[in-house]
This record gives sequence, structure tokens and C-alpha cells, in this order.
Amino acid sequence: MNWQRVWRSLRAEFGRSPMAKLGVVLILAVFLMAIFAPFLATTNPKAQDLSRANEPPVGFTDTTEDTRLVDGERQTVTVTTRGTLEYPLGTNQLGQDMYSRLLYGARTSLLVGLLGTAIAALAGVSVGIVAGYYGGRVDDGLMRFADVMLAFPALVLAIALIGLLGPRAVDIPDPFVAAGLVSDMPETTVLPLTVTLVVALVNWVWFARVARGEALSVREKNYVKASRSLGASDRRLMLKHVLPNSLTPILVLATVQVAVIILLESALSFLGFSGTTLSWGFDISQGRDLLATSWWISTMPGLAIVVTVIGINLVGDWLRDALDPDIEGESGGGMG
Amino acid sequence: MRLTRFLLRRTAQGILVVWGVITLVFLLRFITPGSTIDFVAPLDASPELRQRLAEDLGLNKPIYVQYADYIVNLLQLDMGNSLLKGRPASDVIFARLPATLELAIAATIVAILFSIPLGVISATRRHQPVDYGATGFSLIGISTPNFWLGIMLILIVGVNLGWLPTSRRIIGFGPALELLIFEGRTIGIQVWFEHILLPSITLGTYFTALITRLTRNGMLEELGQSYVEVTRAKGLPETLVKYKHVLRNTMIPIITVLGLQMGTLIGGAVITESVFNWPGLGTLIIDAINSRDWPLIQGSLIVIGVGFVVINIVVDALYMYFNPQVTFE
Repeated sequence: MNWQRVWRSLRAEFGRSPMAKLGVVLILAVFLMAIFAPFLATTNPKAQDLSRANEPPVGFTDTTEDTRLVDGERQTVTVTTRGTLEYPLGTNQLGQDMYSRLLYGARTSLLVGLLGTAIAALAGVSVGIVAGYYGGRVDDGLMRFADVMLAFPALVLAIALIGLLGPRAVDIPDPFVAAGLVSDMPETTVLPLTVTLVVALVNWVWFARVARGEALSVREKNYVKASRSLGASDRRLMLKHVLPNSLTPILVLATVQVAVIILLESALSFLGFSGTTLSWGFDISQGRDLLATSWWISTMPGLAIVVTVIGINLVGDWLRDALDPDIEGESGGGMG
Repeated sequence: MRLTRFLLRRTAQGILVVWGVITLVFLLRFITPGSTIDFVAPLDASPELRQRLAEDLGLNKPIYVQYADYIVNLLQLDMGNSLLKGRPASDVIFARLPATLELAIAATIVAILFSIPLGVISATRRHQPVDYGATGFSLIGISTPNFWLGIMLILIVGVNLGWLPTSRRIIGFGPALELLIFEGRTIGIQVWFEHILLPSITLGTYFTALITRLTRNGMLEELGQSYVEVTRAKGLPETLVKYKHVLRNTMIPIITVLGLQMGTLIGGAVITESVFNWPGLGTLIIDAINSRDWPLIQGSLIVIGVGFVVINIVVDALYMYFNPQVTFE
């Protein structure tokens, strides 16, 4: 694997493509939002203020009719609420700040997206390389198992597993709050553990297929045959020759998978199968029954998902155009 | 002949996969925390009653006996009784199946109807506004979560404009068609269409975007091949060159990807149903999981798994039709 050449073609393609630049900018923005959420947030995203519930975003007004008791008589009053800068993206039915929730939601999405992809890649690549390298019965067995896994649509399998195992979550302490740099913000970030493991479990197969294909072709190369005849161990051959050669297509696949997993996480949270309430998908589900009155609750987190996934897909396109790996299945930031 | 042999082989493989699916689904119950009897028995059930219930359901038998029983029953299409509804799980599932099939087929029709022409136009007018529009649409389309798209459609078309109903399925396609044929009334089809329109756009948009993208890239690649010049040089009309020869070759990668994405279609249907309260398999399976209705969970998972295997066989057959060189060895 010639890293210098990879780097050169990445740079050349980046210079040529305005879309690649846009993608990198979008992803950087989302990463900064997620990392520095405690500084950027204006209100604790979990703090409720029922007296300020369902306020519209700044620049919008909302009129509702309310029945009140005036001098012992019931009267219908028209109440006009104006959006304020205090809650720039409005509030939800609990009076929580949508803007701060958006920032913290980015943390959940990126955590699950990156960690889930890493676990899936590790498991899939190991299985794929072993299957492709040894071939024969090992290969048959592992690939038949992969077929069975693929016979379940990812979302359906994920719902079943999380629904049955129960959504478990791990609290990760927020370093900024722990260091005393910010106060009034949540002390921990919740990592939905079951969700992360399950999205990795339903997506490892793609990595296994790509790694297997690469291993199959590398195995037959002359230099690999030569090292084998010189007595190199299987382990060494797999780590030194097969793995480095599969890295480019796996990198491209991993980028696309981050998008797939972020979409899958949002779908699971939307359906109520998650371990955290600070998630874009969860917020969308919260606004669903209030569409007629408070459109912003569902709209804002959805836009955040679209922008994030567009950024990742653009970066994926950039990597693919620059490195040109031959991946079966092409792109697809699918719902799994 | 070739196709028959292929189908036989592929069906045999499919049966193996289905057996794997059934085994996995059966094992699912044993990796779930909490014993099954706790979900079945009433909270105040006496130990004797719990014992009797467990015996009734065969929960006391060794796991391999339960497994064998399960397979034997499944072969007779007996998936057990739904714990919640007290009816055979298979009845409940097959009553919901048409709704999901209608949705999936409607979404596929939406996707094919719009994506292939859009992709072809986009490729033949490269770097023109229409191409940028199509490319932008497909990027946004593959990046949008379909449940959110559905909610936005409900917000705009349903709530704000009030043009279309936003939930439920009043009438199935079958009964609507009967109404049309036997009584000559179009109201059934009309109501059916109004209700399925938004869900099928919601489910179909991702695929429209994906296929537009694939068609465009595939066409661009094919148009650069030398055989295109040859057919042109032979004096074939440009439209014929594009739509017959080039598009046919472009179809091969499209079908490959579609085959791999069928799981996305079914998964997407589950969540689309949930957004629109569509009474299909998706809403059924979510309800079943939330209430730990085991026979229903297992039955729906198996039906989905089998459906998926069947779809993949059909996709492979299509693949073979478009690419006669393929032998599947």
C-alpha cells in the first residue's frame, strides 16, 4: 500500500471537486458542534420550563387559542407567542431548548455512528480476511452465516434485538464539565450501548464481504505465494499483506457506513428503541403529535440529520472518486 | 432450460437460508432476558397455574424438543397462537401482509417511474441545469431519513394544505378493485390511492434518488464505450442507441445494487408504516415486540426473512435476463 500515492490522489481530487470541499466543511461543523456542545449550548438541553413550552423559533410567531377564566366567565383568548433569541430554534412541549438539544443530539449521532462503524469494521474485516484467506469450508461456513444475517433487513433485526434485550446505556462523563470549564450542563453524555452494539452487529456483514473479496484476490498474487513458500506464517501474511491491501475499499465502505448507521440510529430512536432522550430521532418523534401547532419540533432535528448525512456522503464520494476501489453495492446511505 | 436449472439451484440455497433464519428466530427467545412464562401468565397467577401454562405452551421441555416441535409445526404453517389476540399468529400475519406488499410495490413503481428517465436525461445533458438538479436531488434523497420525510409530507401536504389523508388505510387494493369491477364504482380505488400516495412517496424517495444516481453514472460510463460509436456509425437513431443498447447495459449494475438494497426497502416499509399508521407487518412487529408476543414476533420475522429470500431469487433471475453471460457457477 503506497500511502504517498493515496494521499496525492486524495489531494488532487479535493482540489478538483467543490462538492468534496462542501462535504468536509459540513462534517467539520458537525464535529465541532458535537465536541464543544457544552460551550455552544445556551441552556441545559434537559432543563424543563413548562411555562415556556412550544415557543416558536426566533423570527416566527405562533398563535393559539386558549380558554381562560376572566371574571368568572370562560373566554376564548388568542395568544400570540413570538420566538425569542433565548430559544433560537424554539422549545418543545416540555419547554426544553431545541437548539441546545440539537447540539447534544450531534454527540449521540456521531458517537453511535463512529463507534458502531468501528466495531462493525473490526469484526467484519477479521471474519472476511480469515474466510477469504483460508477459503474452502471455513469460507463456506462463514459466508452462509453472512447470508442468514443478510436475510433480515437491518432495521427489523435491530428492532427485534433491542426490543428484546432492552435498551441499555452507559454514562460517559463530560470532560469539560468535569474540569469545571462549564456549569449547568449535563455531567454525562449517554452512549446507547445496546443500540451501538446492535447497529454494528447488523452491519458487519458488508465489511466481511469486501474484506473477503480482497483477501481472495491478494492470496493469489505472486509475492504472497513467494512469502508463503519462504515460510511466512498465515498470521503474518494476513496482517502484512492481505490487510493493508484491503484498507482502501474498507475506508470508503466505512465512510458510507457511518452515514448508514447514523440514519439507523435516528430511526431506532424515532421508534422509541434507544437508551437516550438526547437524540435527533427521539426529538422528531416528540414533535410528531404536535405538527398542527408546533412544526419546528420535528423539523429542526430532521434538518440536522440531513445536513450531517449529506456531508458524510459527499466525503464518501470524494474518497471513492479519488481512490476508485471496486466496491460491490455502490453507495447508499440507506436506512439499513 | 438454463433458467430452470438456475432457479432450482437457487431455491435449494434459499431453503437453507430460510432454515437458518428459522433457527436464529427460534434462538432469539432464549437470549432474551426474563422467562417467557412471566410475560404470558397474569401477574397474580398461582405457581400451579404458571406451571400448567408452561406445560400447555411446551416451555418445560428440553430446548431441542421445543426446536423440533417448532419446525414440525412451522411445516404445517402453524406458528402458534398470538398471545395477545388469541388467534393463530399466521392468520394475524397474513391479514396484514397485503398492506405491506401494496406499500412496497407502490414505492418501487414510484421509484422506477421517476428515476430511470431522470437518470437518462441527466446523463445525456451533462453539466446542464437539469443535470445539476437531478444530481442535487439524488444526493439529498439518499441522505434524508424516510420517517422524517414522511412527517414533513404530513406537515405540508396533510396539515397545511389539507390535500391528502395522512394516516391509516381505509380500503385494500383487492376490495377496491372488486368494487370497481363488480359495481363499477371508482370511489374505492380513489380512496385507496389517496391513502397510499404519501406513504409510497415516503418509502420510494430514497430508491428514486439511488437509482437516478446509478442510472446517470452507469449511462455516462456506457456512453464512453466503443460499441456506442459503432451503433451510431451504423446509423441507428440516437434515441434507439440510448434507450435500447446503453440503458440495457446500465440495468445490470442497477439490478445488482437493488438486490442488495431490498433489505432497506423492507426496513423502510416498517418505519413508514409506523409514521402513517399503516396496518401492515411493520406496525404489527413493533406492537408484538413491545408486548413480547412471541408467536407473533417469530412468525413475522420468518415471513419477512422468507419474503426477502424470494425477492432475492427474483432479482437474480432478472439479472440473468439482462445479462445472458452470467452463469452463477
